[in-house]
Amino acid sequence: MNLPTIRAWAMAAAALWASASLAQNITIGAVFPMSGPNADYGDIFMGGTSIALDHVNADKLLSQPLAISYEDSQATPQRGVVAINKLINVEKVPYAMTAFTGVSKAIAPVADRAKVVLANGGGIGPDLAALGPYFWNVIPLVNEEVKALVPYVVKDRGWKRVALIYLDEPIGEEVLKELRAGVERQGGTLVTALAIPASAQQFSTIAAKVREANPDVVYLASVGAQQPQLIKQLRDNGVNKPFVSYSALATPAVVALPEAKGIIYTSQKMDWNATDAATARFVGDFRKKYKKDPSPYAANYYNAVLVFARLAQRLEKQGKPITGENLRAALAEGRSFDVVGGRMEFLANGSVTMPITIQEIGGKTLN
Amino acid sequence: MLALQLLLNGLQAGAIYALTAVGFSLIFGATRIFHFAHGSTFAIAGYVFYWVFAVRQLPLAVAVGASALAALAFGTAMDRFIYRPVQQHQGSFFTVFIASFGVSIVVQALIGMVMGRTFVTVSTPLSASTMLAEGLYVAPMAGLAVVTALVFFACLGWVLVRTDIGVALRALSHSHALVRAYGLDPQVLSRHAFAIGSLLAVPAAVITACTSGLNPSIGNHAMLISLAATIVGGVGSLKGAACAGMILGLAENLSSWKLPTEWSEAVSFVVLFLFIIFRPSGLFGVEQKR
Repeated sequence: MNLPTIRAWAMAAAALWASASLAQNITIGAVFPMSGPNADYGDIFMGGTSIALDHVNADKLLSQPLAISYEDSQATPQRGVVAINKLINVEKVPYAMTAFTGVSKAIAPVADRAKVVLANGGGIGPDLAALGPYFWNVIPLVNEEVKALVPYVVKDRGWKRVALIYLDEPIGEEVLKELRAGVERQGGTLVTALAIPASAQQFSTIAAKVREANPDVVYLASVGAQQPQLIKQLRDNGVNKPFVSYSALATPAVVALPEAKGIIYTSQKMDWNATDAATARFVGDFRKKYKKDPSPYAANYYNAVLVFARLAQRLEKQGKPITGENLRAALAEGRSFDVVGGRMEFLANGSVTMPITIQEIGGKTLN
Repeated sequence: MLALQLLLNGLQAGAIYALTAVGFSLIFGATRIFHFAHGSTFAIAGYVFYWVFAVRQLPLAVAVGASALAALAFGTAMDRFIYRPVQQHQGSFFTVFIASFGVSIVVQALIGMVMGRTFVTVSTPLSASTMLAEGLYVAPMAGLAVVTALVFFACLGWVLVRTDIGVALRALSHSHALVRAYGLDPQVLSRHAFAIGSLLAVPAAVITACTSGLNPSIGNHAMLISLAATIVGGVGSLKGAACAGMILGLAENLSSWKLPTEWSEAVSFVVLFLFIIFRPSGLFGVEQKR
């Protein structure tokens, strides 16, 4: 047998071995932004899923090792649909994780038709609660965050004139709707609402319009790499009023920005020093692996993997195949899970309720 | 007062757009190469300036010099190692464009890998605005952008009118055969066009790094504006590209006076479409009769 023939046989054997070992895994999917201006979020999400994978496989929760097949959505609906189609039709996953409101809304009908469960741990648009029985949320949605923040801003701090700068996308529209209603309910006024396209990088004009509206406080509702650019340019262009925002703001790039110091933002309540078994184990291993504290997003996606593993475990005990339909039925049998952050209870619409906290960048927890 | 503020913002944006657009227009006019990677030149210049000045904390002059050197090296390397081999193999206009587009994607990915995929900025007091009058804020960087653009255009005008290289470059944009007939080498002139065009992106990239900041995809925006300005100004007209860059910057900012802010980016392209429909030759282009 000559050398090229040996090489060909060796490659064929390696391919067979690889496909056989993949076939032995239980594979779930993840549609995360892994490139483009929102790639930072993908890194944060995968920080949580990789720890979850280690834990599920170390504990042998399932009969076969669990694996995650990641696909890049670039945080765009078009790429998200391509990604979920691949996961459903090629990888045959029964369960996939998703992020970003626009992406989640685009891929939900595809997953619903294929009876594949989607678990969202990053998108916060309120209409994500109504995307059908196969769409679950393991994160409190933005309407809850706005509801928690508005009384603090208008009543406690006395900032009655609120300006909003919002992304011209579903998430921004939802913040506008919630904020307008919430501020008026508390006796304040939404003095201006300025939409910005996702691709916008120049904000001196926005700053001029904010200054003209003369607000007491400015709510920022953007995502990704645009946020630090927006904050810096607003400050550079003379907007010196306090900024408030939601959980998507606290990315490492924003936290590192000197101009972002003091921004008040909401996020789900997570106590990294909690002593319950799930939180202590997650935080301990996260710190060991990444040498820093996790973000709530990392915890959400850790929880999303853990919820799948617990449901799949129930199905295996009952001798049922792990399909999207059976995962739904298994959830109906028991909706509570001990996960990172405490006890998580799924509502009938597939969403969860969780306490919200108000924090300050470079400061302390405020509420 | 808002209109005046938007006008000043527009002048700053327009100066940056004009500098980038003139570089692209010079290269396209002289060589007929659709140098899509001009946006990458902008991104590389900006990131090198950021790295040398903000990360390594070397003096400003060193950072600007390094940025210019990087832009020069990238632009001329594109001409020598990408466009020339493609053209030697009978590469069509479209093939050259695809090669350039491919390089820009690779550069964007490499910047993301090396410098991180998130936003970076150079902190300088020059980008912080001060109040000139009630409701009117101007940063020293705005004045610097306009003055820099004027100085660079004056220098470019002098080079193109008063030097042999400049005259040859203008001749090259009309006819390669004519240039050869005078014993000049179009390939050498092409290299000069890439060098000068790439250098023109440097001040715009440095100012952008200090004001709006950088991310790996920043070159795409620079390229889109350059393309729009080249068409609006009239293909091959440097004066047109400069004026069009300024017009686009002003239109983008002044539109927010009466229109919702989400329209500001789209306004540039509305201007472009209006020119394509009603004046396809652009502001200073030569009308082609069929």
